[in-house]
Amino acid sequence: MAALTSRRRLPRLGKASPIRPRYLPTLLVLPAFVVLLAITIFPLLFTATLTVLSWELTTNAPARFVALGNFATVLFEDSRFWNAMRNTAVLVVVGVGLQVILGTGLALLVNRVRRGRTLIVSLLLIPVMIAPVVAGFQFRMIYNDQSGPLNYLIGLLTGGLWHGTAWLADPSVALISILLADVWQWTPFMILIVLAGLQAIPEEIHEAALVDGATPRQQATHITLPLIVPVIVIGILVRMMDTFKLFDIVYQLTAGGPGSTTETIAYYTYLQGFKYFSLGYTAAMAFIQLAVITIVARVFLGYQKRTQNRGSL
Amino acid sequence: MAHSGRNRAAVGLIAIALGVTACGGSTGPSASTAASVSAPPAAASASAPAAAAPKTLDVVKWDSPPSFGNVTINVVGDAGQNLLPYQFWKDDFAKAGITTKVTEVPFDGVYEKLKTEFVAGTGAFDVVTFYPSYIGDFASNGYLEPLDSYMAKQPAAVWDPNQQDVLPVYRELYDKWAGKTYALTIDGDAHVMVYRNDLFTNPDEQAAYKAKYGTQLKPPETWADWLQVGAFFTRKSGEKLAGQTLDHDFYGSAEFAKRGFSYAWFVDRWSSSGQLYFDNKMTPQINTPEAVAALQNFVDSLKSAPPDVRAYGYDELKDALIKGNVAMVVQWTDVPKKGADPSVSSVVGKLAVGRVPGTNVGGQVIHRGAMPVGRVVAVAADSKNKDAAYWVAKHVAYDRSLEDVSTPLTGLDPYRTSQLGHPEAYTMFADKAGAQTYLDGLKVALADGFPEILIPGAAQYDDILDLHVSKALAGEETPQVALDTVAAEWNKITDNLGRDKQTQLWLSALAGYRSLGLIK
Repeated sequence: MAALTSRRRLPRLGKASPIRPRYLPTLLVLPAFVVLLAITIFPLLFTATLTVLSWELTTNAPARFVALGNFATVLFEDSRFWNAMRNTAVLVVVGVGLQVILGTGLALLVNRVRRGRTLIVSLLLIPVMIAPVVAGFQFRMIYNDQSGPLNYLIGLLTGGLWHGTAWLADPSVALISILLADVWQWTPFMILIVLAGLQAIPEEIHEAALVDGATPRQQATHITLPLIVPVIVIGILVRMMDTFKLFDIVYQLTAGGPGSTTETIAYYTYLQGFKYFSLGYTAAMAFIQLAVITIVARVFLGYQKRTQNRGSL
Repeated sequence: MAHSGRNRAAVGLIAIALGVTACGGSTGPSASTAASVSAPPAAASASAPAAAAPKTLDVVKWDSPPSFGNVTINVVGDAGQNLLPYQFWKDDFAKAGITTKVTEVPFDGVYEKLKTEFVAGTGAFDVVTFYPSYIGDFASNGYLEPLDSYMAKQPAAVWDPNQQDVLPVYRELYDKWAGKTYALTIDGDAHVMVYRNDLFTNPDEQAAYKAKYGTQLKPPETWADWLQVGAFFTRKSGEKLAGQTLDHDFYGSAEFAKRGFSYAWFVDRWSSSGQLYFDNKMTPQINTPEAVAALQNFVDSLKSAPPDVRAYGYDELKDALIKGNVAMVVQWTDVPKKGADPSVSSVVGKLAVGRVPGTNVGGQVIHRGAMPVGRVVAVAADSKNKDAAYWVAKHVAYDRSLEDVSTPLTGLDPYRTSQLGHPEAYTMFADKAGAQTYLDGLKVALADGFPEILIPGAAQYDDILDLHVSKALAGEETPQVALDTVAAEWNKITDNLGRDKQTQLWLSALAGYRSLGLIK
């Protein structure tokens, strides 16, 4: 942007050109701005307008102004909304937490590998490249109670003492099954992020620490980890926002059931919007989610800024 | 609907989709998810290798229309085997100058896909396939083309779908709204009980049952019997069943207990109490003591069902029976056809069809069975080729309908008198007598049929009922709490949609049910 706004670097326009140099930056930015306006800003503003309306497309009755009624209903009367938020919170906190722990551990291991690292990373990335809906279908087969490979392996490994469980039908484990599918798919993303952070650490810092007599453990806890924290924070933030929107796997595996044990906020929002066609109510739910994500993002970005100010990479 | 209203609604929908995305939500499933979603009466994917058309039967005499001149008719429906007729009869369509382009959507996603397209006025589809419980919504909002004038066109062999041949319950409830015909039935769904006749007639099993309960072993007459017989047949691997040692666990019964349509298996149990969804003032009747007892029966039945039954949809429930893992199920009427097909069934010749169990009311057992799903085809009001679209719909709904319902390749069930009168067409059965027994079972099932909610908002009422039935099955709520919540939520839906208007529509629907003898 700096280059664009510097008159000195602007291309020379011919005498016949009707475009005056000082308008050129604006003209260049305009297409992107129009696209942004059309697909982000306008829908956001329109959705904001919808939040104060009761608009039921099932009957096509005219929209009614309800002020903040939709927000009040969502927040204070809709137990299904809070159940969905609770399920989503479990997936975000536990699921992303596992992805960070496993991803960081595996990245540290892969970082030690000198030969064939690219191949290993490529193979590890396969789950990320699979469409979530395909991953969901795959896990439906894996979790099958009677013919799935998971229960078969459990039976084999326990010598027939335990034959597994009904992973998607047992209310006490269905959410964990969703969580494990998500962890399987997205841990490689954390590996990739952390590995990139590890490889950005200058070798000289470790060499200097070695000269000063630091043990490998001290190097890991006092040099490596502090230096990759900002990268991990970004990874967590991306994954948290993504997990907050978890839909495909839930749709594929359980449709929110048994009961409402796996109903996530994205799935519930989808039902309100595209099954019940309650536009105003859905818009209010979406805005509450936006507020939650924004607050979480602010906290993480603030933390990341503080760590950077302390001199991390 | 006025164009300006439709445009505003379309903008609203698009804004919601983008806005929800911007706000961190999700925009829902795409049509591409279709093939991987479990689909009641729609097991095999139509995108699978091309299935050969069934043998033509020439029972219906029909003529091809003059060529429409290479038009493409866009067809949409739930993914899987029930879209195969468009593949079977593509040569017929080609002869009429029509190419069909079929879009598959997930079974659970038909309403949202069609509603979204209708509201947005995209004109993406000419022929729409949907479940008749949505006809009130779609027809009253002007999304569908009235078909009466097309049906009356001459020559009759080209245009007349012979609606008098369609069983009244389907013709009047599925196809019509406010006295006009908006759709043509292609699938007459109803529930029947399907059971392992070989087990019920086995002398060892009969003796064991008599010794244990003091009564004769027979297919369950009531839902209380269902629990008892289910418990009796539930055996562990290594135990004996009909003289054979089991190499896997065997279960007395199974249910559709996955979210989506589990509510229909509750309605099976509740409807025989003689109650209805609402009273004349639109007050829900869904949480009466009889309804709570019915849901409790459903919950109790899971004790005799496979452990993963809460994940059972149509495919899983059908497979549990025809792969020989359970003794009895209540299912759609296409399942006996699948059970008679040796290429997919390991219980060929062992199945029988019976009435859905009932409830003892004043010393008399009343049998009722839900009629969930079903399928109709209609012409979209914004289709650019309405004549061609109508002919495509009429061709699958009448001209080739006997072939479509009598093949095990589809999940389509008989819905015409003529289809019930041609047992020789159902060649998957060992003989004509076997087919006749199947068709006789269907007639009884249809006589017991209990209607769905067929007014605008049906998708919402059904979804809420399904959610709380599922919660009761999962142990999240007691049956009483579950149904009290359903009643409260139904009231909210009614208020949201306009209580007066909904009451009027319900009273009109009731009159229809009564005139067809579906309610007494």
